[in-house]
Amino acid sequence: MKYSRISCSTVALIMTFVTAAVAADAQPESAAPSVEEIVNSSNCAAYYPGDSGRADVLIVIKDDKGGERMRQATMLRVDTDPDGCTTQKSYVYFHRPADLNKTAFLVWKNPDKVDDRWLYLPALDLVKRIADSDKRTSFVGSHYFYEDVTGRNINDDIHELVETTARHFVMKNTPKDPKSVEFTEYTVWIDRSNYIPMKVEYTDRSGAVYRVYEALTVETIQGHPTATRARISDSHIKGETTITFSNIRYDVELDEKVFAERYLRNPPRKYLQ
Amino acid sequence: MDWLISYSVDKPGMVGRVLLLVSLTLLAIVALPSLWPDTFTGLHPLKVDTDPENMLSRDEPARVFHNEMKRAFSLYDMVVLGIVNEHHPDGVFNRDSLGRIYRLGEYAKTLSAPDPDQPGSRTGVVIGDIITPQDVDNIEQAGPGAVRFEWLMDRPPATDAEALAVREKARRIPFLDDTVISDDGAALALYIPLTSKDESYEVAGKLREMIAGFDGDERYYITGLPVSEDQFGVEMFIQMAVSAPLAMIVVSLLMFYFFKRVVLVAATMGVAMVSVIVAMGLLVATGNTVHIMSSMIPIFIMPIAVLDSIHILSEFFDRYDDSKDRRDTVTGVMDVLFRPMLFTSLTTAAGFLSLALTPIPPVQVFGLFVAIGVMVAWLVTITFIPACIMLMSRESLQGYGAAFTRNTGGKAPFITRLLAWTGRQTSVYARFVILGVSAASIVAVYGISQIVINDNPVRWFEPDHEIRVADRILNAHFGGTYMAYLALAAPDTDTSPVEYALALAARMETRRNAGTGAAAGSTGVYGLLQKEVLRLAGSAATRQELLQQLESFVDSRRGQRQEPADAWFDALLLIDRERQAGHVFKQPDALAYIKRLQQHLLTTGVVGKSNSVVDIVETVNRELHTGDEQDLRIPDSPDAVAQTMLTFQSGHRPQDLWHFVTPDFRTASIWVQMKSGDNRDMSRVVAAIDRFVAENPPPYALAHRWFGLNYLNVIWQEKMVNGMLYALSGSFVVVFLMMTLLFRSVLWGLLCMVPLSVTIGLMYGVIGLIGKDYDMPIAVLSSLSLGLAVDYAVHFVTRTRMLHDRTGSWSETIPLVFAEPARAITRNAVVNGVGFLPLLAAPLVPYQTVGLFIASILLMAGIATLVILPALITTLQGRVFRQAASGLQPDQA
Repeated sequence: MKYSRISCSTVALIMTFVTAAVAADAQPESAAPSVEEIVNSSNCAAYYPGDSGRADVLIVIKDDKGGERMRQATMLRVDTDPDGCTTQKSYVYFHRPADLNKTAFLVWKNPDKVDDRWLYLPALDLVKRIADSDKRTSFVGSHYFYEDVTGRNINDDIHELVETTARHFVMKNTPKDPKSVEFTEYTVWIDRSNYIPMKVEYTDRSGAVYRVYEALTVETIQGHPTATRARISDSHIKGETTITFSNIRYDVELDEKVFAERYLRNPPRKYLQ
Repeated sequence: MDWLISYSVDKPGMVGRVLLLVSLTLLAIVALPSLWPDTFTGLHPLKVDTDPENMLSRDEPARVFHNEMKRAFSLYDMVVLGIVNEHHPDGVFNRDSLGRIYRLGEYAKTLSAPDPDQPGSRTGVVIGDIITPQDVDNIEQAGPGAVRFEWLMDRPPATDAEALAVREKARRIPFLDDTVISDDGAALALYIPLTSKDESYEVAGKLREMIAGFDGDERYYITGLPVSEDQFGVEMFIQMAVSAPLAMIVVSLLMFYFFKRVVLVAATMGVAMVSVIVAMGLLVATGNTVHIMSSMIPIFIMPIAVLDSIHILSEFFDRYDDSKDRRDTVTGVMDVLFRPMLFTSLTTAAGFLSLALTPIPPVQVFGLFVAIGVMVAWLVTITFIPACIMLMSRESLQGYGAAFTRNTGGKAPFITRLLAWTGRQTSVYARFVILGVSAASIVAVYGISQIVINDNPVRWFEPDHEIRVADRILNAHFGGTYMAYLALAAPDTDTSPVEYALALAARMETRRNAGTGAAAGSTGVYGLLQKEVLRLAGSAATRQELLQQLESFVDSRRGQRQEPADAWFDALLLIDRERQAGHVFKQPDALAYIKRLQQHLLTTGVVGKSNSVVDIVETVNRELHTGDEQDLRIPDSPDAVAQTMLTFQSGHRPQDLWHFVTPDFRTASIWVQMKSGDNRDMSRVVAAIDRFVAENPPPYALAHRWFGLNYLNVIWQEKMVNGMLYALSGSFVVVFLMMTLLFRSVLWGLLCMVPLSVTIGLMYGVIGLIGKDYDMPIAVLSSLSLGLAVDYAVHFVTRTRMLHDRTGSWSETIPLVFAEPARAITRNAVVNGVGFLPLLAAPLVPYQTVGLFIASILLMAGIATLVILPALITTLQGRVFRQAASGLQPDQA
């Protein structure tokens, strides 16, 4: 009964891949996959398409009063364990708004310990390592958490397949350490044809669904089904964030050494065009 | 009106039946929809309103602004839970106390439910904005070059050392220090926001239940305005159910002492009941709420309703033995009293009706319905009391009346002797009396000049009430539990889009010529943009719209043109920059001004602490740099501020930034925590900031304006004081005109105003001298004193003139006036004065104040009438009685 990183969201944000085979594998009705298989396949489909990837990202943050803020960035990703879906490095570089221009993030996803994260703030001329924080903090002030962007560790939850509908596997996920997260459980609807999480609902301590992820558009890019537009709404933070990916390319030539602290100040411009 | 009294005397049973029917009907109209709201949807149920905000009308600008800002900054009404541990050396910062507080905080997050009225939304606790140790962020250094974001207390501490670590972290965060954690490090405060004030009763109740199951040493204090209001609502009903009836019982007993017949006492109480039922019934039936003000209506109507009955009974009691005929006596009594009773009722009603001139809706409603009650009381009195007398059997009146005492040779009662003596002395020593009154008036004027206008809803509870106790303890530990907010807003820029477009085109020209960086060789792009700007200038309605259209233009051309992508991107950055120039609260100088305001607030002595976006920015800046105090400062550039804010928003609660600045960065709010809820202290802070802003003009022409409930209290208080002054002088004039009309003499009219003026003057003089705050109940009492004080004067003057017409001499009139008429006045003063002392036992201070002051007013008005009027008449007798022939004749009534 293990599943884990379904974590919703940004499927494409991190763009890698594991095996195109997963999608192709879309199971016939008869051969029902195990819970573990579903969890693993979905994690790989959502966060590890291809061995590497790049995309332009448009983040639109809406508050509950109709106000809208925008951020534009480019994301780069390289998988560091080409055989599995456990480790990768990603780099996010902000273009706009002007006062966040050149701000950058670097994340190393580690298999068995907390991720390494760095942050570059150009106006303060500061590179900071973000120490052992939990990953349910906001991604640049949006309704997405880091965990939504990089994927939740599949070993952090207990997974149950509660329903198999014509289109979806419906998984219920309960945290092993309830005090570490603000939800009590979340339910994921995984597309049976390609293992892309289509919808995630989080429940709070009062029993209400307060947070919803939805994949709004799924396109197949270089053979990888990819959620190119997705949204998270959150009634605790209030409002919603929509992320749209464009210019997505998988299996791009990326030098792994650019995913290093010193490149935060001197961005690899050729990859960011 | 003779027919009405004749009818009542002839068909007394009918009067009783009609009154019973009217009362029952009104009771039913109120009770049915209150008990079965779903069945009787057409009728208005009883609605209680304890929200002080409603002291202002809904479209009052200060209130409209308050609600706009509450929405703009996502601020909610809150339950505040203060936790103090006085037994542990580290206060609540020990493993066990924090463990329980953690459980309580987790429990609070379960108190949210689907809103039955609005599908899709929730009601109860606003979980995302809850402030507890486990739901606020800590940011701190984590070794060289590293920073850590974490929940301040992500799980209950396993050891006392961990508990102390929580304390050390919290004290380093300016936002938390003195707001969540007390300055002495002993106490914690949890802030639990509510979707609506109405939820506070249930939420507080559930928290209390949870706390009741705890066995630790720490004490929990629940406070916050919504909780106080609920508590007030509950106790208001206790008061209406206990204190008011208690007052009625005491009045009844005193009346029984004077008039000896249960039936007559019951009749008087019946008059009061019917008047209250009709007034309150109409109030509810017309859809008005029972507010703190209107809940006092019964207390105000009762003495007035009893007043006229006592006059009738007193007169009847004194005359009955002379004729032994009920009908004759009653008719005779009514002949004498009809007109003064009508006029005193009209003046009293006018006094209360004048409250409709105040700009405060609950006070208007109060004035209107007390006036209605007064006129109902008059009507009921002149019909029901004679009817009751007729219904009594002859036997039961056997041995009734003053003459009985006289004729049986008994010594005249003390009161009779005292009054006779007073009558003699006041006329003999008239000049001394006048001199004394003048001296007292001077003292009163001085006292009035010392009056302090002030109110504080928390002080409506008694000092040992749990709400007051919580208030004291929490304000001793924290920066203050009374919140007001200071909004700073950048004005809308007034340049027209055309002017702006021209300036923008010029800036593009500069950028194009500078030719640096990405813009190098982008002349083509800027050339196109300049043209587009000038084209759009004519159509765009605002600067924002112009920039939006320009951005769309860039987006549409970006991919298709020859110009390099970099150049187009540079253009987008330029557009961003234009927009961000309007982000006033990212500008270091704007933030520095907020900081200065905050520092100035602390010099007022009232403000214990304030929070603003500056505290957030400075804290993050400190932790991003060295973590040392020297870096607790505002970054140097708008971009650096923006990136500091971005860092803050990368924590668990990005939404917290929007409590202090709006997402357009053009309005900011400073949370001001005060240790006192006194309006006077709030006014002091407001004045201090007005002065500071006048002396230190803010950058960007920022406009400052207050909001928050503590500030609204000041607004309605100002309105009330001015309104009351206006209403009081208005009714003064009306009463004077009516007196002049009644007596057809300006001089007599003026005379009647004297006891009234002296009473009001002395009452407020005493308030000023003893230092009692002039608050809401005190303000309203002025209209009551006006109505009651004139009553005695009217009766005294009417009877004096009638008797003078008969005797033709003032010296012969004196003993007669100081017989029955003076006794009626004295009985009234004693019955009502003593009768309202039970209100001192009420659990709410405003009712105690009302009780004490009604008693004082009645006593003072009685004395003023019986002492000052004869003295004045003695001095002025040559002038006043010259006109008497044209005055009131008994047979005219």
